[in-house]
Amino acid sequence: MGLSAAMEIGKNGLNIYRVATEVTGENIANVNTPGYSRQRVILETAPPTTANGFPLGTGVHIATVERYYDSLLQQQMVNAHTTQGYDTTKSTVLQQIEPSFNEVAQDGLGAAVSNFYASWQDLTLNPAGSAERQAVLSRAQILVDNFNSVSKSLNDSIATQNASLVPQTQDINQILGNIAQLNGQIKTTELVSGNANETRDQRDQLVRDLSQKIGITYTENSDGTTDIKLGANNLVVGSTAGLLSLVPNGSISDVYVTQAGGGAAAILVPQPSTGQLGATLALRDTIIPGYLAKVDTLAMTIANQVNTQHKLGFDLNGLAGINFFDPAATNAATMAINPLLTSTKQIAASGSALLAADSSNALTIAKQQNALTMLGGTATFNSYFDGLVSQIGLDVRASKTTLAQDEAFTKQLTSLRESNSGVSLDEELTNLVKYQRSYQASAKLISTATDMMDIVIGMVR
Amino acid sequence: MRVTANMSAENSLYNIQQGRAKLDRLQELTASGANVNRPSDDPINTRLLLDIGDKLKAGAQYSSNIQKTSTWQQFTYTALTGMSDAVRLAKKLVSSIVNGSSDPTERQSAHDQLVALKQQMVDMGNTQMGDQYLFGGANNTKPFNYSVTASPYYAGDETQQNIEVGANSPIKMNVLGNQVLAADEALATPYGTVNVLKTFDDLIAAVGDSTNPSNVANIKTASIALSDGAQQINNAISDVAARLSRLDNAGKMNASIKNTLETVYSNTQNVDYAKLAVDMNQQKLAFDASLSATAKLSQMSLLDYLK
Repeated sequence: MGLSAAMEIGKNGLNIYRVATEVTGENIANVNTPGYSRQRVILETAPPTTANGFPLGTGVHIATVERYYDSLLQQQMVNAHTTQGYDTTKSTVLQQIEPSFNEVAQDGLGAAVSNFYASWQDLTLNPAGSAERQAVLSRAQILVDNFNSVSKSLNDSIATQNASLVPQTQDINQILGNIAQLNGQIKTTELVSGNANETRDQRDQLVRDLSQKIGITYTENSDGTTDIKLGANNLVVGSTAGLLSLVPNGSISDVYVTQAGGGAAAILVPQPSTGQLGATLALRDTIIPGYLAKVDTLAMTIANQVNTQHKLGFDLNGLAGINFFDPAATNAATMAINPLLTSTKQIAASGSALLAADSSNALTIAKQQNALTMLGGTATFNSYFDGLVSQIGLDVRASKTTLAQDEAFTKQLTSLRESNSGVSLDEELTNLVKYQRSYQASAKLISTATDMMDIVIGMVR
Repeated sequence: MRVTANMSAENSLYNIQQGRAKLDRLQELTASGANVNRPSDDPINTRLLLDIGDKLKAGAQYSSNIQKTSTWQQFTYTALTGMSDAVRLAKKLVSSIVNGSSDPTERQSAHDQLVALKQQMVDMGNTQMGDQYLFGGANNTKPFNYSVTASPYYAGDETQQNIEVGANSPIKMNVLGNQVLAADEALATPYGTVNVLKTFDDLIAAVGDSTNPSNVANIKTASIALSDGAQQINNAISDVAARLSRLDNAGKMNASIKNTLETVYSNTQNVDYAKLAVDMNQQKLAFDASLSATAKLSQMSLLDYLK
């Protein structure tokens, strides 16, 4: 050992603090990169020698460059993202549906029902009047238009949900492919040299993105890869990825899965019920059809009740009444005024074939508005519809509240992750100063050793 | 806990967003003046508001029914009063020749007057509102005719029409012509049993004319029947007056219900501007503060002090 050893330590120091500055630089550069985890240089003393008769280290040595990463937090974030993905989609779509039922303005389907029956009341005052008869037909047409329009907007929503499955599954497949690819890179990199920190960050970010779209479970393997499962289905195993596909089933599509490693696509059982994909399926298959079914029930009950009573009456020509609404209609979308009812004279206001100016049948039809017809004889048409509006209001409000909670929870988790893994510029700047000073000191060591070397050489001269 | 600049930024954004959302809601409330702007604002009160809205709509319809029925009853009342006047004139005329007359001119004059009065009765019985006969029942044909001088005098039918003036609260609309003017032909006789038109015909025959002598006995019989007929018409007038009074009551009740419902509606739906103004000021202050704090704090960095 000699002066050259001191110079060697100095040189080592220069190298290492240069690397440390590079790591700090990487942190500073990625301060705003989503999913980036700050890295730090782990320094340790270089192996000691006993050349001087006692053990002394040979300078500093970089043990590893590690990232701040909390796997428990990752797990919680994956779960939170799944819930948030589901609630976001549900809330957004429900808020789009709500305006169709915004009866608070006292204008819409409920008002159309009221006005329709009011026109029958008017008819009781002048059963043979052509103006009153025309009003009944016009109000009926408005009612039918309202039912058609609400039904169309709900059916459109269902179709939109179904169509949105395509980009969603494509997105998921792409992420699965990327995760598998990154798995491969991580495994190869880490076999050769240490930690593939950035690649792991990217993959973890992708896992979080994926969890927002669909509820997955994942396992971190000892070789650095992460396996993804959806229920019992393997979506990613090592560097192979499975995929989701859509197979049309009637007017809608079912989600099929191809397992990682190949095999035939098989229908996913059960169909996804979590994440954005789950919300889309729930909206398509349960929530919106539930509203639609109620609108259909209301439309068909009104049509049947009016038809039944209308057929018991007699029109202005003394003929027995025909169906008022189209009897071939099966739901709110197809509801229509009977195409055979072409003249106002065919409205059967009279209760007798001989009495043109009798109003008894019109009065019976008008009274249907207050009859407890719906929900097993507990609700009128109006209160049934009001109940539906109120239910949609409750659903929207509940989903908004849940979403607000999800956002607060996710924000809290993000804060925790940021607290652990986020880059603090102040901290990095401090490190930078620290490393710069150490670099300066190492350089000073070399120059001091050089001076000492000069002294020694001078002695020889 | 370790805090980074990004965390502060995220927090600031989150809180600014929350503040904005609250301000936006306050702005919406102020601008619309309504507490419930969509069902999800308050699903429970939405139900209440919709229910009140339905009741108000129904009330408006009943109010229109009441008004139209009222007009109908007033027409009926006028027609019946006209009939009553005609019968009164007839009674006066009959009392002047109750013992017949030997003067052909006087007989002819009485005969002509009675014919004219009967025609007046028939005209009143054929009163129309729009194209509906007030006393014709439901078959939309002219109920009485001058030329008819024997039963059946009444060509209408006996359908009692009803109108709803409240939920499940029907009121009789029409007075049946035969019950007033030809009660012996009617199935139901709520006012009396006299056939007033036949009585007129009997009188016209009994009084005689320029060529035929009077029949004193028949004049007396018919004169008694005429008195009963006058009573019968008065009974019908009372019935119509009672209906008018009931309609009036129903109208008042309807208006009072409407008033109550509208009060409840506005109590639930109308915003309290004073409270809103205070809330808005508070929220504005809080929002201002959060913006200011964010602007000041997010600029701070160690970089400013490192040379």
